[in-house]
Amino acid sequence: MDTARADTLAARDRLRMQGWITPRNESFRHLPPPGIDTWLPGPTDNAHPGCDASPLAGAGWTLHPVGSAPQGGVQARWLDALDPAQRTELFAGLPQPGNGDAAPFAWAHRALCRQGLRLRIGTTPGKSGPDQSPVWLQLRHQPRAEAEAPLLVLEVEDGVHCVLIETHEREAMQYGRGVAQNLHAHIRLGAGATLQHLRVAAPGPQDRMAHHVHAQLAPHARYEQALVATGSAYHLQRTTLDLHGHNTTARSAGLLLAAGTALEQQVHTQHHAAHTTSQVEALALVSGNARTVVNAHTRIAPGADEAAVRQRLTGIPLMGQPRLVLRPHLEIHHDKVQAAHGATWGALPEDALFYARQRGLDDASARALIVEGMAHALLERCIDHPTLLTTWLGSGWLARAIASHLAVTQEACHG
Amino acid sequence: MTTPSPLLQVRDLRVDVGERNVLKSVSLDVAPGALVVLMGANGSGKSTLGLTLAGHPSYRAAAGQALFGGQDLLAMSAHERARAGLFVSFQAPPDIPGVKNNLFIRSALNAVREARGQEPLDAFDFLASARTAAQQLGLPEAMLGRPVNEGFSGGERKRNELLQLALLQPRLAVLDEIDSGMDVDGVRAVVQLVQRLRAQGTAFMVVSHYLHLIESLAPDAVLRLDQGCIAETGGLELARGIARTGFARTAEPVEA
Repeated sequence: MDTARADTLAARDRLRMQGWITPRNESFRHLPPPGIDTWLPGPTDNAHPGCDASPLAGAGWTLHPVGSAPQGGVQARWLDALDPAQRTELFAGLPQPGNGDAAPFAWAHRALCRQGLRLRIGTTPGKSGPDQSPVWLQLRHQPRAEAEAPLLVLEVEDGVHCVLIETHEREAMQYGRGVAQNLHAHIRLGAGATLQHLRVAAPGPQDRMAHHVHAQLAPHARYEQALVATGSAYHLQRTTLDLHGHNTTARSAGLLLAAGTALEQQVHTQHHAAHTTSQVEALALVSGNARTVVNAHTRIAPGADEAAVRQRLTGIPLMGQPRLVLRPHLEIHHDKVQAAHGATWGALPEDALFYARQRGLDDASARALIVEGMAHALLERCIDHPTLLTTWLGSGWLARAIASHLAVTQEACHG
Repeated sequence: MTTPSPLLQVRDLRVDVGERNVLKSVSLDVAPGALVVLMGANGSGKSTLGLTLAGHPSYRAAAGQALFGGQDLLAMSAHERARAGLFVSFQAPPDIPGVKNNLFIRSALNAVREARGQEPLDAFDFLASARTAAQQLGLPEAMLGRPVNEGFSGGERKRNELLQLALLQPRLAVLDEIDSGMDVDGVRAVVQLVQRLRAQGTAFMVVSHYLHLIESLAPDAVLRLDQGCIAETGGLELARGIARTGFARTAEPVEA
């Protein structure tokens, strides 16, 4: 038996012994994920009918340069996880799934992963230091199978500044039967590296999606992740931020839109070193019978001197009777730190709504304008790069998503 | 010679806020292009009148009538009132985080233009007129690109209200203490804008405590509101009398 196959069988075996996530699992108890059969079907069940893509047709990932930004320092390797040598290269340096709350997802991923993409972002040849412009990339992922486990490994070398737009969207015509996607992304930021990461995850209504992003930061590195996610039959966005080096900074902002669907964001932050800063912010706009959870957990380890932590979670029920759980959670094991957290659950600001109406905007337009503004403000607070947001917002995607969300909300109200 | 029919006719208006009655019975007329000054002690109901006319959901007209251009104003929603040509400036204009000022004003202007049967303005044309208006009002152009009222000083917020007034060109503007927080140049800008819009036919109801502004505006009438009723009606001499002796004097409520 080859080592790749042995590895997948071992993962299946480990999962069988460990068992799937139980309703008592603290991280998942408010929105338990579907069972193991969803994420890890039998060996012959996951061929996509009618899909004639080659096994490595981008591994579901396609890489696009943005504008005329320099690409000289980008190395991309699409790797076949069923080939022993390529599997070794694909998983090189990644941690074993272990026994944590989300470990069953990780073992299921190991067992099912067929392809992956390894990206290494370095300096543009011939340029360094202040001459080095940020490297701009766009990654798009499209599902290739009814159940799949894509992998992305992204390494940003010391001192490099990367701007990444990562999108997971499905055209309405592709919805058909829902897919199950257990995606893992491992991000490594070298010393002094910066990654500004805009993630858009808009599954089809029947899709079950679980994305796990693991980011590890070396000294003086900076990571900013702005997530825009819409609900589906089940949608989990889980990010772990490992502030491994001193003087690291991580920011996370989640804009969650759920109208009658399920959506959970988890952000687990670990302050391992001194002078580390993290900020976790979320805005959940929910309606109908949506089930939405925002779970922010930050741990300050012993010795993380002068760590600064901020969590701010906001939920706005727009209509109907959604279930919304906001869980800010701090775990502090060091004395000399600053930490603040809060959760707010309330309506759209009435004074601003009336102000807009008094200027001539009808109710729907006023609500859309204010919701879109709140979304922009959230993203701008996270990503300190106006061009990135302007570039993406210029596509009109967010405006359409919010309009669609509010339209579904209105229909639910009147229907 | 015929008197033009009033643009705004308010008759026996009674307004409750929650369980509390604020306006007992207010009647007044404002003719097209006229300027009426509303004075009154704190809590007399001046802002309540403005917000009720604007259609604020917390202010309930319990009795009476308000006609605007012959239409039943109280039966209209807030945005319909605005599109019909009623502009109410806010004493404390709220922030709208993340919404650029120019986008907000252009959206409002195009909604009003659509109601008037006019073509919408594109961003380029709008920006040109917005820049000119901002310059005339002493509002830095950078304020157009910033989120609505976020981080604005008190005076900048008021100038931003004036900017919207200048661009929307309503039939009737209710200015609620527009001069508070304004510097001398700001007050001068208020007077110049009001004079310019009046010349184009806009009527005004101005709430103010300051005689200098009131005199500069050359009002057609001055009304004193007291305990939810129009207590006195007069001209500039009434405003000057209030400035001399204050509101603490007795007067029988009279019909405007």
